[in-house]
Amino acid sequence: MASPRAEYVKVVEELFERKKEFWLIGQYVQRWDAIAKMLGKARFTADEAYFFKNLAYVYSVRAKYAHAKIRKIDVSEAEKVPGVLKVITYKDVPGVNDVGYVLPDQPLLAYEKVRYIGDTIALVVSEDPYIAEEAAEKVYVDYEPLPVITNPLDVVSFGGLKEKEHTLIHDERGSDVIARFRILKGDVRKGFKEADVIVEGEYRTQFQEHAYLETEAALAIPELDGGVTVIASTQCPHEARRAISRVLDLPFAKVRIVVPPIGGGFGGKEDVVNEIGAKAALAALLTGRPALVIHKREESIIGHSKRHPMIARYKHGAKRDGTLTAVEAEIILDTGAYASLGPFVLWRATVHSTGPYKIPHVHTESVAVYTNNVYAGAFRGFGNPQVTFAVEQQMDKLAEELGMDPAELRLKNILRNGDRTVHGQLLDHGVGLEEAIRKAIESTDWYRKRAEYAKQTGTVRKGIGLALLWHGNSIGAEGADYSSVTLIINRDGSISFRTGLTDFGQGATQGLIMIAAEILGVSPDYFRVEQPDTSATPDAGPTVASRSTAMGGNATLVAAYKLRQRLNQVAADMLKCSPDDVEIHAPEVYCRSDPSRKIRWVDLIEECFWRGVSLQEFGYYRAPKAVWEDETGHGEPYFTYTFGTIVAEVTVDMETGKVTVDRITTVYDIGKVINRVGAELHAEGGAIQGMGYALMEELVHDENGRVLNPNLYAYYIPTIMDAPKEVVALWVEAGYRRGPFGAKGLGEPSIVGIAPAIANAVAHAIGARITSLPITPEKVYLTLKRLGKIGL
Amino acid sequence: MYIPKDLDDALEYLDKNAPDSIPIAGGTDVLIQIREGKLKPKVLVDLSGLKSQLSYVKRFNGKIAIGALTSVAELDESFLVKDRRYLGFADVSAKFASPILKALATIGGNIGVAVSASDYVTLLHVLNAQVKLVSVKGERVIPLEKLIVDKRTLAKEPNEIIYEVLFNELPENSSTAFMKFDRREMIIIGYVTCATYLQLENNVIEDARLAFDRVAGRVPGRARKTEDFLKGKEFSLEVIRQAYNEVLPEEMKRKSDFRASAEYRLDMSKVMMKRALLKAKSRIEGGV
Amino acid sequence: MAQTQSQEYPEVAVTLNVNGKDFTVNVKPYERLIDVLRYKLGFLSVKEGCGRGECGTCAIIVDGKLVPSCLVLAVQARGKKIITLEGIAPQGKLHAIQKALLDTYAMQCGFCFPGVIMAAYYLLSRNQNPTEDEIRYALSGNLCRCGSYLRFVKAVKLAAEYIRKGQIYFDLKTVPS
Repeated sequence: MASPRAEYVKVVEELFERKKEFWLIGQYVQRWDAIAKMLGKARFTADEAYFFKNLAYVYSVRAKYAHAKIRKIDVSEAEKVPGVLKVITYKDVPGVNDVGYVLPDQPLLAYEKVRYIGDTIALVVSEDPYIAEEAAEKVYVDYEPLPVITNPLDVVSFGGLKEKEHTLIHDERGSDVIARFRILKGDVRKGFKEADVIVEGEYRTQFQEHAYLETEAALAIPELDGGVTVIASTQCPHEARRAISRVLDLPFAKVRIVVPPIGGGFGGKEDVVNEIGAKAALAALLTGRPALVIHKREESIIGHSKRHPMIARYKHGAKRDGTLTAVEAEIILDTGAYASLGPFVLWRATVHSTGPYKIPHVHTESVAVYTNNVYAGAFRGFGNPQVTFAVEQQMDKLAEELGMDPAELRLKNILRNGDRTVHGQLLDHGVGLEEAIRKAIESTDWYRKRAEYAKQTGTVRKGIGLALLWHGNSIGAEGADYSSVTLIINRDGSISFRTGLTDFGQGATQGLIMIAAEILGVSPDYFRVEQPDTSATPDAGPTVASRSTAMGGNATLVAAYKLRQRLNQVAADMLKCSPDDVEIHAPEVYCRSDPSRKIRWVDLIEECFWRGVSLQEFGYYRAPKAVWEDETGHGEPYFTYTFGTIVAEVTVDMETGKVTVDRITTVYDIGKVINRVGAELHAEGGAIQGMGYALMEELVHDENGRVLNPNLYAYYIPTIMDAPKEVVALWVEAGYRRGPFGAKGLGEPSIVGIAPAIANAVAHAIGARITSLPITPEKVYLTLKRLGKIGL
Repeated sequence: MYIPKDLDDALEYLDKNAPDSIPIAGGTDVLIQIREGKLKPKVLVDLSGLKSQLSYVKRFNGKIAIGALTSVAELDESFLVKDRRYLGFADVSAKFASPILKALATIGGNIGVAVSASDYVTLLHVLNAQVKLVSVKGERVIPLEKLIVDKRTLAKEPNEIIYEVLFNELPENSSTAFMKFDRREMIIIGYVTCATYLQLENNVIEDARLAFDRVAGRVPGRARKTEDFLKGKEFSLEVIRQAYNEVLPEEMKRKSDFRASAEYRLDMSKVMMKRALLKAKSRIEGGV
Repeated sequence: MAQTQSQEYPEVAVTLNVNGKDFTVNVKPYERLIDVLRYKLGFLSVKEGCGRGECGTCAIIVDGKLVPSCLVLAVQARGKKIITLEGIAPQGKLHAIQKALLDTYAMQCGFCFPGVIMAAYYLLSRNQNPTEDEIRYALSGNLCRCGSYLRFVKAVKLAAEYIRKGQIYFDLKTVPS
């Protein structure tokens, strides 16, 4: 923090201070790719396969057991099947047989053991996908089954989170604990002594499946130089390149990743392409043909990461007036067979584990462990939805104990400008949480409904509940946090926009274009977005962690700003006014003080070309280094936080336990609304996905580690008939001075607070609390039945 | 794929080639069974071209006959969903799979699949439906309840196909209703389903029939003891409550699975039974 | 050497009528219509999301009816009129439902859109004044994970309005990109 500010930081801060009027930022603008997609012309990864001859299909032969030693793999029969081009096993991997994102714990092709039912033993490559699948039945594996662990409590126990005696899943690591974090502040024993009320609870959340409509796909083309190009549905092209290079033992320059439009990501396509891209690349290089890996839905469900289930025990203490005195928590995350992004998920969960409140005494201990379930990794929210589900119900429970309104209790304890987080981080500006609460309460007529619904009788009851959230922007202490963008003004006046940030529906790129457009003075349709391509677009870091606008936006800002300075100089010379006086409203460029002095945008560009003034700019932004002390959780984990208040209104049919969500009101403090279309769609889409998490989604394993509902027929995501009547999206703009025009991220915050708000609304409706997700009709009904609140 | 010219052709082919060859109508179940590797037929006999012969909803001689190839979408357009007595068909359709499957899925297929989620079967049970089967040897009529022996198991020869389903027209003072619910509104298996037929005169239950997705076995069935309890009694919530609390549990044995517990399923059977009866009653009295 | 099951079945020639044109193509009897439309005929708007008729992304119109192309075998579609997204409006024009989806800013990843548009197209071809419940029901077989559902409802209502006013097609050039 004390180091001299980099130039790019100065640019961002200066623009935040200076620019108060916007002609484009915050407007409704159509996505750059809307028309192509609307006409059905956008080509997703699997669509690209149509354009290749001699395509080879790669079929993955998967494990028969969720936990077993491999004694022998025999592919000789499969190889003999007519039409089979090659059968690939671990022996054929030229480089390192590993695709783990954080820890090197995940073999691409199994060789000594399998640890979950999705593990791949062999790849059958054939021109005919039906033959590949048939031949797979002739791959014979000699297994020695091992005990299957599906319950994380068989690996660690509460009361210290010590690892228990069990058959190790990752014996090569010597332990099935992948990470531990903690927050230790003050003295919780003292804090609880000072408390007038204490509230405890155990909270459980489930495996959630991304269920993007486009399943995973990767198409690899062998190149003339012995390298490979992989067209893949990935959120992180540069990470995929790293992983695939490692597997193939090729330098980065020989591995090219190209990213077409993606049909949904939500975190599910962060690390899976390490695996399927490597599979496709291997097949392509070994057969000399373009090779396609495409997951059927059932394969997608068992073959990529899930949201970590959580079991957490919380204890909250507060004074009679509602002031929090202490919070204690033990949090266990089930990371399944492989770590994936588990260590980072655990870290984020821990950072956020106490909610956006001031608390004098805190002790959180967290741990993530292996089981033989499908592995868990990144999923929108990344550990925060889980802990927020626990925290926000704890807060409501406290409110009940204290006889206080839940909103009032929050207002008593929330972080405000000038406060320090439980990590000791000073938030001297940009905390829009109070405003968010007040807007939410006002918009939903909160107090009247709280009072009215509490008096209900009858078997159909309404409820209204709220939840707060905070979400650190970008990757925090997970790694080096940087982003980059290249802007190139072409000689015809059009602008090429290049970044390694990908789009899987969230439309953040539109926001980046709007930032550049705002600064340059041209409309968004002058821009052409080049598809992310490790050979052509700069490494912008992964498209994760709600960082596209916050980080990519700054990189864009910096590039656009520098270009604009140069354009101003040349225009000033051409128009004979000062650079500050130059107004660009393409296709016109004129002097603000004398608009009659004008030229055309294309003339300005042409003049720059002839003068040798560079029309290209590379924008780079590096976030301040996060600070985190492992022993205490003290530091500055994220450079800024998005805040939010969610109010959910539900109707509960007590006879069946079915919960219907009538309305969700979201108020997010995102610093500054850049792309209003994208922001609203996030509020709506996140509400619906969060509603699924809250009420109906659950991936279930049996005791053998097999998934019982690996299809969309038995894994329930919301249909249009389940969507609430309304999602009201309101905004608070408590700008963060080092965000692009003060903007903060929304990708993940938009799901974090939904499930707890619904849980709290249900509790309000029925007078009883469900502490595990999903809140199925059965859970509600049986709770009511046991309490005697409903009888047949 | 064998595409028969007409029904006789199809029956001939099946007679010679079943069980390696199986008939396919809409394919909404057969193709999924093949995808999952549960069915590996050598040949599919495509019946979809026989629609002109096998797709109809007719009434004659006090009976209603529905051709086996009548799609759910076609049922939605028939007189059945406009007739107060047969609104149970509208109820089934409203929660049937998804709108995208309705043009393909057929009532014959629903019967042929014979699982607890075969909603038309559940409804047809309360209509005392019969099924006409045909083969090269001729035709025979068998009660639906006897045709479906167990999950995905029919008492029919591989060379027989389902031709039509028949039931008697219902009296004026009666109606049907069907209930299905789950965690979400559409594309659902259903925690439980309940079909009912109710005949009321001066608020007295002249006749009542109840069918559920499962009663004692793994396929839809009737709850006859509960029906008998209701018959002749005054229609009231108290009577219904007695029926489902005292009698239904005697004949209904629910199982737990990962989706729901036996207890919940039994309780929801009671709730759905009540709601179905109330709905049927309101239809008889002029509501919808 | 034993033949694979796949090799036991010779291809057959079928003629498919897609968006008004006839295409003759060789297919295996077990080949799905979705694969033939996509990979043999290039109608890439037809998407696969589940292969079991549960997600709606492969929805097309066959002989005036909405069907999931992943559950129809290509040989079953011979002689039938098939309409895919590519065929709902003339070249250079947008259908009212497409225009309405742009006007309501419904687009996110776009993968579910072809199926949603076909389902909406089917609804509007039978009902030019649908209620919100009718719209929700008609689209209930189309899953959208990005969550544009509320926009779909608005868009179908708007499209119905356009159609009632006689505006069925919109020139692409008049639409701001």
